[in-house]
Amino acid sequence: MSGHPRRAAITGIGVVAPNGTSTDTFWKSTKEGISVLDRITREGCGHLPLRVAGEVRDFDPPALVEERYLVQTDRFTHFAMAAADQALEDAGLGRSDTDAAPFAVGVVTAAGSGGGEFGQRELQQLWDKGSRFVGPYQSIAWFYAASTGQISIRRGFKGPCGVVAADEAGGLDAVAHAARAVRRGTDVLVAGATEAPLAPYSMVCQLGYEELSTVDDPGRAYRPFTAAACGFVPAEGGAMLVVESEAAARDRDAAVRATVAGHAATFTGASRWEESRQGLAQAVLGALAEADCAPEDIDVVFADALGTPEADRAEALAIVDALGAHGRRVPVTAPKTGTGRSYAAAPVLDVAAAVLALEHGLIPPTPNVFDACHDLDLVTSRARAAELRTALVLSRGLMGSNSALVLRRGAGDAS
Amino acid sequence: MSDRITVEELTELMKKSAGVTVSPEELRQGYDTGFDAFGIDSLALLGIVGELENRYGTPMPVDAEKSKTPQQFLELVNSVLLTEA
Repeated sequence: MSGHPRRAAITGIGVVAPNGTSTDTFWKSTKEGISVLDRITREGCGHLPLRVAGEVRDFDPPALVEERYLVQTDRFTHFAMAAADQALEDAGLGRSDTDAAPFAVGVVTAAGSGGGEFGQRELQQLWDKGSRFVGPYQSIAWFYAASTGQISIRRGFKGPCGVVAADEAGGLDAVAHAARAVRRGTDVLVAGATEAPLAPYSMVCQLGYEELSTVDDPGRAYRPFTAAACGFVPAEGGAMLVVESEAAARDRDAAVRATVAGHAATFTGASRWEESRQGLAQAVLGALAEADCAPEDIDVVFADALGTPEADRAEALAIVDALGAHGRRVPVTAPKTGTGRSYAAAPVLDVAAAVLALEHGLIPPTPNVFDACHDLDLVTSRARAAELRTALVLSRGLMGSNSALVLRRGAGDAS
Repeated sequence: MSDRITVEELTELMKKSAGVTVSPEELRQGYDTGFDAFGIDSLALLGIVGELENRYGTPMPVDAEKSKTPQQFLELVNSVLLTEA
């Protein structure tokens, strides 16, 4: 047994993504390399220069979320509740289980966008009719912390809760925060991120990002690591995970799908992509050290894949800086090129994909990318079968956060 | 415009402002039990008070949103509306 008496295991996955609103459909689309990037159809967005995104179209909030939460919370929280329900069901944790030990279950989420759609509706009331017509739920629904609070209220959880506000990379930090809470003594954390940034107000907020792709051809809008890289395509949706004490999982005979082995985060400044090379490499080294993992042990890398030449070059160099010669040989993939980047939720979807990849021995490809121009073994076109024991997930944020997370397959490394 | 706010109107406001569906019969049965039993929190009551103020064009009593039961709430807001009449 290693030096971690309370190792953090992933025992449940819930996904609400543009390419699938269940873990099964998400994995099927992901491994097939299906791109669902498309023209934005959301009402009120047609005149904006941002044309292509990953919309979650197969999601029916009233079928999944009670009426009071439909009225009181934003779409990003609806996604989080639905994904949390899936994750808990996948982990085999029913209401009777969590009701019996409510203090043993906490929630931690990350969010970069907040409840923009809800906020816009109430601000329109403010300007059209006046302050007396703004509903009181505006005070909480837009807030980045809303999903953590509402999930814990809705499911009656009373364990430690947290919210990570750390940019896109915050999604990985939330999973790591959950793993630390497990090591400190909480049995179960529901952890992850969801975003709903495809509403007019939220989209206008994004137009200032110089890294945003405004290409209107869905097949060409997001092609990181190629000479045609022209920025990233945003997306909505995300994933929630059940992160649980490995011992608690074994006690109740729950399957340990993966363990959260190591994590580190650094900060190198907004849009300073050249500097992100050093920051990301340092995060990888920190995560490897915590996981007690040699570079050669990394079997697959899920890249951040921002999609601008400067950022892609920095990431490709960071992988080699941190992993040495192994960095040029290890398979690298970026399935998010088929769905878009759902900000803080993007790396959590990558964690979900990485756990599924470890389980299936299959590295999903990087849709829409065919001619990588960096010294990386980028998996393109179709999934690649491989013996996978350890995965590295990378994420960077537009505001300068860099994070790396190491995952180990199931119980494979228990001793 | 002034009128008595009925249990029916309160249930309609609970649905509109907080997404909580309770029938007038259920609300009558729980007339003196806490709003929290219906899932109505202080923000929900604040929204209901705001809606009533917009609807009737008159301020509601301070602390109306702190009412613990439907009975307490209706007595308080109706005291204002009946005085105005």
